[in-house]
Amino acid sequence: MKRAILAALGLATGLAVPASAEDIKVGLMLPYSGVYAALGNDIEAGFNLGLEHFGAETGATFEIIKEDTEVKPPVALGKAKKLILQDEVDVMAGIVSSGVLAAVRDMVHGAGVPLIVANAGNDEATGEQCSPFITRMSFSNGQVNRPMGKWMYDQGIRKVFTLAPDYAAGRQMIDAFAATFTAAGGEIVGQEFTPFQKTQDFGPYLAQAKASGAEAVFVFYAGGEAISFVKQYDSFGLKAELPLYGSGFLTSSLYVEAEGPAAEGVITALHYVPTLDNAANVAFSEAFKAKTGRVPSEYAVQGYDTARALIEATKTGAADRASLANALRAVSFEGPRGKLAIDPATNNVVQPIYVYETVAGEAGLTQKVLGALPAEADPVNGCEMPAITN
Amino acid sequence: MSLDLGFWALQGLNALQLSMLLFLLSIGLTVIFGLMHFVNLAHGSLYALGAYFAATLAGFGGYWAGFFLAPVAVAGVGVLLYSGLIRRMRKSGPMAQVLVTFGLIFAMLDLTRLFWGDLALAIEVPEVLGGRVALLGIEYPTYRLFIIALGLAIFAALAFVLGRTQIGAMIRAGVDNDAMAACLGINVERLFFIVFCVGCALAGLAGAVAAPLLSVTPDMGLQILIPTLIVIVIGGLGSLKGAIAGSLIFGFVQTFGAVLAPQLASVLIYALLAAVLVVKPVGLFPAKG
Amino acid sequence: MFKHNTLRYAVLVLLAAGALFQALTAEYFGLEILTEILILAMLVLALDIVAGFGGMVSLCHGALMGVGAYAFALLAGQAGIAPVLAMAGAVAFSGGIAWVIGAICARSHGIYFIMATLAFGQMAYSFVFESPVLGGDDGISGIARLDLTQIGVDLNDSRSFALFCLALLAVVYGASVLILRSGLGRSLSGVMHNEQRMRALGLTVWRVKADVFGLSGMIAGLAGALAAQHSMFISPGLLSWTVSGEALVVVILGGLGTLVGPLVGAVAFVVLKHELSAITTYWHLIVGVILIAVVMSRANGIFGWIEARWGARIERRVADATRKQQPDGVASDA
Repeated sequence: MKRAILAALGLATGLAVPASAEDIKVGLMLPYSGVYAALGNDIEAGFNLGLEHFGAETGATFEIIKEDTEVKPPVALGKAKKLILQDEVDVMAGIVSSGVLAAVRDMVHGAGVPLIVANAGNDEATGEQCSPFITRMSFSNGQVNRPMGKWMYDQGIRKVFTLAPDYAAGRQMIDAFAATFTAAGGEIVGQEFTPFQKTQDFGPYLAQAKASGAEAVFVFYAGGEAISFVKQYDSFGLKAELPLYGSGFLTSSLYVEAEGPAAEGVITALHYVPTLDNAANVAFSEAFKAKTGRVPSEYAVQGYDTARALIEATKTGAADRASLANALRAVSFEGPRGKLAIDPATNNVVQPIYVYETVAGEAGLTQKVLGALPAEADPVNGCEMPAITN
Repeated sequence: MSLDLGFWALQGLNALQLSMLLFLLSIGLTVIFGLMHFVNLAHGSLYALGAYFAATLAGFGGYWAGFFLAPVAVAGVGVLLYSGLIRRMRKSGPMAQVLVTFGLIFAMLDLTRLFWGDLALAIEVPEVLGGRVALLGIEYPTYRLFIIALGLAIFAALAFVLGRTQIGAMIRAGVDNDAMAACLGINVERLFFIVFCVGCALAGLAGAVAAPLLSVTPDMGLQILIPTLIVIVIGGLGSLKGAIAGSLIFGFVQTFGAVLAPQLASVLIYALLAAVLVVKPVGLFPAKG
Repeated sequence: MFKHNTLRYAVLVLLAAGALFQALTAEYFGLEILTEILILAMLVLALDIVAGFGGMVSLCHGALMGVGAYAFALLAGQAGIAPVLAMAGAVAFSGGIAWVIGAICARSHGIYFIMATLAFGQMAYSFVFESPVLGGDDGISGIARLDLTQIGVDLNDSRSFALFCLALLAVVYGASVLILRSGLGRSLSGVMHNEQRMRALGLTVWRVKADVFGLSGMIAGLAGALAAQHSMFISPGLLSWTVSGEALVVVILGGLGTLVGPLVGAVAFVVLKHELSAITTYWHLIVGVILIAVVMSRANGIFGWIEARWGARIERRVADATRKQQPDGVASDA
């Protein structure tokens, strides 16, 4: 009887889920201008696709309010305040740079608004600075690089030279790798940090790497710096004698076309590779390509899974800030990246890490997956997670 | 670390390569300033524009199409800027000029984003210049040697034009005292126009040759602006000698700073700039006392 | 020397009334914008003193503001000093740094002065960016606001904080006027108009410049300490040269060397930025074009334009008045 009435009202689909039709206000904070604009656009494209694919599974509807963080922490903080206090959003998502995340952290935590981090990887956000309201669906800087230390040692590499830009993320990525590599028995024979976004010429550092007596080089670079670095590395002819390894952002599908043949043979590790062979990823990457004409990047999948996590949380019936925060912490599903779950101790995503090589394919460069390293939860890193009370 | 002679030769070439790239950019800026007393902060944006033009043209006609046509295209933009803005701003004070060109930076940054998007572009090094050359007991990328040679060639050409030809004499006269030069029958206005266009073309050329080495991003102009300004201020405004000296100092300090004192790498060049200005408030080789 | 005319008083009263009205009635986001304007206004006042009245176009005022913010955060946070004293310390520290920069750069002029200040600003930026102690590029969070509960004011309330900033801005404005009218201010305008002559008159030119630069740095430092308390978070981006560049844009947009103009500029800039960035991510393009148009119009910014029109009207009125008297004069002459 009741069902018939609802069907008459056109709400039959809503019956399949326990939640009543709730309208949830989502504040989407991404950089649409500034150096990370390309990342922001990719995350948003993924996010929209996620809503499209899974939106029907929940009774909730979403009202999205977009704000441009401009990659400037003070600007982003102002926008976060606007979203929380004026628009009164129920949940926030996005955030690309760690600096922006650090800026909005206290605000979000204090106001008790759940935030799904769709990129920013600083370890503290799910360590010392963790909050029950901040759930990360992307990665942590340490998580992506930690498995590579042992993996490279197992490949027979004993001496490594490392390079990264001189800022927090660069240091965290390298430290995580160096810790597991030396623990396995390897040796870091040299380490340089280049001035962040001020280094046009990597030549001086490459000469040092060459002179260091290392067997391989491990680096973290992203964006424009990644392109310059990979091309300059290749132009010095170092790839043959000194194989290049790194954090997978180095050869992200977002920039690999610009890197061209220079990227061939570079081996990196990341939480997502566009060529992963599983049903969820095939569906996702086909749809993404049809929409944008591009191969999805790790940023796109982070946006996609962020939308999915939000939908999963609303499926439990959560609709207000506190219940959404609690529900987000318990989210787990099988997505393009494989099996994802949130670690309740830190609120960071637990996910497999893939080692892949960039190789020449039929139409440009593509990724060959060399191995999947098992999912491991990050160390707690001083996170004391308080419970959410209403 | 085994730091042999080859290592230092390699670093020397790296420093030289960076210097030449900066020289191509700073020479245009410094001569425009010396002649017209015009501070063109948008010079870096013209460099970015050169890189974008080169990337687009390379898509149609290969690397050399970009190499030869991008500077022409940027000079074309220079013509528009000159007739639309610069000529009218000639008599305004430096403050107004700084601000108009600051506004241009804003506008051009977003225009490149509108036309080319936010994703980084790139150009491949042409076949001839790919690979490496063995010299001084080391192997060095051919393309980097090409940049060094190009920089030296432009330097030689400019030294010849400025020092030995009539137009060079006119430009030097204009830099020295434009009112007097005008009295002597030199068409100073036309001279300004030519110099401005050549300066823009050189910025475009720098962008075109830098593109295969770096990546082409909307903010590349902003990133190169400060190094270029440092070069011309250390060298002294308005002189060829200043531009080459400033470029060499910047290139070598940056490169060897990165090797010998990596913790100080980013502060070093600013400290040097401050030191130079304390000792010589108008730079090392200004065009006029 | 700096003088108020009727127009300047009128605009000041209007601005103050508008700010007060906004502070008392605005909703949350309105207060947020108001506070942003007030802090920016403080910074541009500092810049107008050196650039508009001393010809010292500085590209390190953003960095000086950042120094104030970091000094406050360190003193109040890490060192645990009482916030009021920490604020005083931050102001003194950035003033001291500014004095040294002013003294070193005093011999440079024009573009060289701009570049020298830029160099110092970028040095500070790089230093903070690469110091793990200062939080590197992640910055420092959890900065506490001043505790004024003893006098019954809770600054954690945005309305009170906006009013607090407004009060401080009024004090700073008064102080700026006093500085410019003092002997030091007179010497400064003398130096700007003819440095040689002032030197010939026995003035220690570099001291004048350094002193004014130091005072201006104190104001910038105060703005920084407020900015740190406003967002309760600081990051190296605060010290970047583009912040100084934007401050310079605001000063020019408003009207260089008028003190009132930059205040108008700060209101216009912040409101414009928020309105435009809500519409398009390409708002830099529009701001750039407006900036070019304002400068090309040859007016001294928005306020300078108003002042020029106003001045023309007064002149016309005076001319009319004299013309009315003219016939008598002509008659008597004949």
